[in-house]
Amino acid sequence: MILDMHAHSIKSDDGRAKVENYCQWIKAKDIAIDGFVLTEHRQYDDESDYSDLAQANGITIFKGSEVETEYGHVLVFGVTPALQEEFDFSNINLKLEHVIEASNKHDAVAVPCHPGRPRVGMAAHLEEFGVPKGVEIVEIYNGGSRENEDEIAREMADQLNCSGIGGSDAHIVSQIGKCGTKFDAPVNTIGELVEALRSNNFEAIKI
Amino acid sequence: MTIEKLSEIEFGETLPSFTPDTSLANVSQFVLAAGWDSPRFTDHEAAKAQGLPAALVPGIMSQGFLSAMIHRWAPDAEIKKIDTVFRAPCLVDETYQINGVVTDIDTDNGSVEIDLTVTNSADETRVFGTANVIIHE
Amino acid sequence: MDKNEAIDVAALRDQFLGKVFDEYMFTLDAEKLVQYAKSCGETASKFTDPNDPDFQAPPTIASSFNPRQDYPDNFPSFEGLGMDAGKSVELERPMRAGEEITATTALHDIYTKSGRSGRMVFFVNRMTMKNPKGEILGSSDTSVVIREKPQDS
Repeated sequence: MILDMHAHSIKSDDGRAKVENYCQWIKAKDIAIDGFVLTEHRQYDDESDYSDLAQANGITIFKGSEVETEYGHVLVFGVTPALQEEFDFSNINLKLEHVIEASNKHDAVAVPCHPGRPRVGMAAHLEEFGVPKGVEIVEIYNGGSRENEDEIAREMADQLNCSGIGGSDAHIVSQIGKCGTKFDAPVNTIGELVEALRSNNFEAIKI
Repeated sequence: MTIEKLSEIEFGETLPSFTPDTSLANVSQFVLAAGWDSPRFTDHEAAKAQGLPAALVPGIMSQGFLSAMIHRWAPDAEIKKIDTVFRAPCLVDETYQINGVVTDIDTDNGSVEIDLTVTNSADETRVFGTANVIIHE
Repeated sequence: MDKNEAIDVAALRDQFLGKVFDEYMFTLDAEKLVQYAKSCGETASKFTDPNDPDFQAPPTIASSFNPRQDYPDNFPSFEGLGMDAGKSVELERPMRAGEEITATTALHDIYTKSGRSGRMVFFVNRMTMKNPKGEILGSSDTSVVIREKPQDS
């Protein structure tokens, strides 16, 4: 099963895609993904329920978040109300180790994204802050990467012995599905997604 | 081929892209017309002195290029909304492509939604956004 | 302003959001509209020929209108180079050369985020344009980003 693990909708301040149009695009263009995760900036979208849309289109739609830490941006999968009590998702000065600890405590997974990107990627902060504890997975393929950002991400992942996921970082409809993550087994719930990430049964792919 | 009616448009259709004139001469004429005359748009050295990599193509000009692409594709189109995010600067005298693709067709309202991008020679997106456009039957 | 002072976004929102801080009137010049359109690559005569019966401003021209002041009175000043982060234009009616336009501007949003160029503060102004009949011609949102100076923490 292939999921685009990093996408934004109009719920993100710089997102311009409606989720129904993502579904329409995936089907019309036969994009080789089975679903996607909406990782909205600095928030978890408690309001939206995409289950009917997902079912109608035969596409898996999960919700996650993209939060901001001293090491750059971090995707969080498996957000729960309890996790939302642990830190303010809208704070742009979160501590990565706290995000990871809190995520682990509440059966979620925190994944630094676009780690090769200047300033908002983890690699840019290793010299200043050291190797953070608890990072096991990073995003090594990002559809919005420029120049050698993915290469930097992969090198860092290799050096730190981290696994890698892929995501498009789509902000408009036509960007969905440029990168993804291939899971060995079907992932039907967010719980199964978290379990699959913890079990390391996946690989990042470019589509 | 230009579009005249909504029924001619298919979901996912790519608009004909074009390479805009980002020369210093054209950008200078534009900023004068727009009332945006500033060295950061018309003088490479002055822009660098401000910490910029070179003179910039104004964001509003990139938005104008995107609008022009829509009109070249559908001359009678009425742009009702155009919304652009400037991800990275476009630089004067550099080459860019203006791109669009249809991502929604609303037959009730007679409108289409178009994904818009401005990409550089490395195919990196510098500007992205969407437009909502009325196309009459 | 003390360059080490943090930007209190919440306080700024409470104090300034939604309040009109600028209003002025202007008319559009046909020659400048033609140059604007041609420079952007417009080819249709309704944008490039003042003698066209439907001659009108290119739709994105509303993005070029600036209020006479960038921020409300008593708004704190910030260090850093302000850059255009985004523009959004909504149009109800075409804008025409010679027509008097009244433009009012209010601060629409303020928020912070981090990006490739570091911590950033975004200010979004909304300008609304009306014709002499009071009919709305359109509105334009301008998002300006300022990279906040690094804070000692």
